[in-house]
Amino acid sequence: MTLDQVFKGNSISEVLELLNQYKEDAKIIAGGTDIIIGLRNGKITPKVLIDISKIDELRQIQVEENKIIIGSATTYTQIVENELFDTNLYGFKKACRLVGSPQIRNKGTIGGNIANASPAADSIPPLIALGAELNISSLRGNRKLLLEDYFNEKEDNRLRADELLMSIEFEIPKKNQVLGFSKLGLRKALAISRVTLSSLIGIDDDVNIENIRVASGSIGKYPMREREVEEALIGKRFNSEILKIAASSLQSSMDKRLVGRSTYPYKRRAVVTLFEEVYKDNLSYFNEVTL
Amino acid sequence: MKKRGVGIGLSFYGTGYGNGFPDVSNAEVQLMEDGKVAIFVGATEVGQGAKTALIQIGAETLQLDYKNIIFINEDTDMMPDSGTAAATRQTYNTGNAIKIACENFNEEIKKAAQKALGLNSTAGLIVKDGVVYLAMFPDKRISYKELSKIYKDDIIKAKGTFTAQTVKMDDETGQGAPYWPYTFNACMVLVEVDTNTGRVELLKSIFAQDVGRAVNPRLVEGQMDGGFAMGLGYTLFEDLNLDKGKMRNNRFSKYLIPTSMDMIDIENIIIEDPESTAPYGAKGIGEPTTIPVGPAILNAIYDATGVRVTHLPVTPENLMKAIRESEKSEAI
Repeated sequence: MTLDQVFKGNSISEVLELLNQYKEDAKIIAGGTDIIIGLRNGKITPKVLIDISKIDELRQIQVEENKIIIGSATTYTQIVENELFDTNLYGFKKACRLVGSPQIRNKGTIGGNIANASPAADSIPPLIALGAELNISSLRGNRKLLLEDYFNEKEDNRLRADELLMSIEFEIPKKNQVLGFSKLGLRKALAISRVTLSSLIGIDDDVNIENIRVASGSIGKYPMREREVEEALIGKRFNSEILKIAASSLQSSMDKRLVGRSTYPYKRRAVVTLFEEVYKDNLSYFNEVTL
Repeated sequence: MKKRGVGIGLSFYGTGYGNGFPDVSNAEVQLMEDGKVAIFVGATEVGQGAKTALIQIGAETLQLDYKNIIFINEDTDMMPDSGTAAATRQTYNTGNAIKIACENFNEEIKKAAQKALGLNSTAGLIVKDGVVYLAMFPDKRISYKELSKIYKDDIIKAKGTFTAQTVKMDDETGQGAPYWPYTFNACMVLVEVDTNTGRVELLKSIFAQDVGRAVNPRLVEGQMDGGFAMGLGYTLFEDLNLDKGKMRNNRFSKYLIPTSMDMIDIENIIIEDPESTAPYGAKGIGEPTTIPVGPAILNAIYDATGVRVTHLPVTPENLMKAIRESEKSEAI
């Protein structure tokens, strides 16, 4: 099959109708940073491309009540430059800033990162830690899906051929909560992640961990919640003593998941430093803010 | 845990083809119709700065502003053979050829001036800033422009050839003096190694490079920075990952080279000890700048961790493997 036509979508309804018409023969293109490469090396062979990069509703970051809603065609540069992500959401900004290079961040979109479902997608673990939900639409209707469920093995959860990822939304963390992120890449820019880690930690007046979500990238088949670590840390006092607990519970989860893989001994030890980095990010926020 | 270490790498490098192989550079110089002087050499510019440094050598010898020099170095129809832009040889070898050709040209233009000015000989004639004049009576003078009107182009011209002196090594004993001149350098790096992830972070480097004479100090520093970046890539990143002769890392997403984010500011020190056989003492440094970087980084890793790495590149995973092995042997 060769590429036949490229549609420039002017509105969401137009895109949904095109998707409904062409279904499996169509691919959505936004930034094109992955899809163009896929087309070139023949990994994907759509008949039509539907460009959503000029639809304003899909390229904006909005605040509604206590939620942040990010349109799926929003670029990394838009996210990095938005001051909403400067304080306790800095972990998300950090993750987006470590994606590719400035050129890729100018074109690449948050929705593309999710829809491609790469196990090494940098922006996913922080969004999972935030409990982000996806808004998905088609002519058949709208549905919401928890991001962490999108990546598990249930095929049902994946985007169907007639569906469009509209936006990603999550609750704005409270003042006593902070999102941290760390990435292990093979160099400082343009590096595919070996391992990523992100945590949303909330502390109470006694500096005990009141709520926590931890998510990882590339230490399983897909980006996922690290529930064993969460259970080990909840209620603990937020100080450097949690580092050992976090490391050993992360490693025990990895032992179940990764044993026998050639990268396992390396990643098992690397997560120690990654959690330390996340902890330091979180600590510096708590040190600066008066709760 | 993060551990810091310091390492030093030293190198000396013989420039040119060496081993008695004929290493010849030719240059031609001629007066053009507009009074400018053209230099023709076959020295390819590959980013190293040949176009700049070689014009400077010509300008110095001709005592002429570089703006009045036309430099033709990449048109095989017009230029003589000056050997390859390789073996760190152009500044020294072709620089010498240009210097000789320009000295010969100065004599030719003095002869032309002698005739035009009706003098007895060329004795006491000086060439400076596009004018030939008599030192004892400076009013006796004629400009290159005026000379070019008389002689047109293609009349006043000169050639220069430089053949480097090297000796073939004895086939039996391997003894001899295969190269001349040698270039020397020393590189120090400070690194921080994360003993959980195997990441090696460069924190500081001091890099001293002997250049004989820095024809253009900024270009010398550029070559030092560039050589360092290549040495860094070779040591920490670059891996063809050959599998039965096939390159598995056959694209730049897999074959990693350092980005500007991975480079550090280097404290470059230029050592000037003019080489007597070189043009104004200048020696090449193209290849030498890459050589001491790897040893310096490996020594620094050893100083930081006690682990001696003998296989490149030192990727985080390779280093962690070596660290785990050394911990195991310590435990026994």
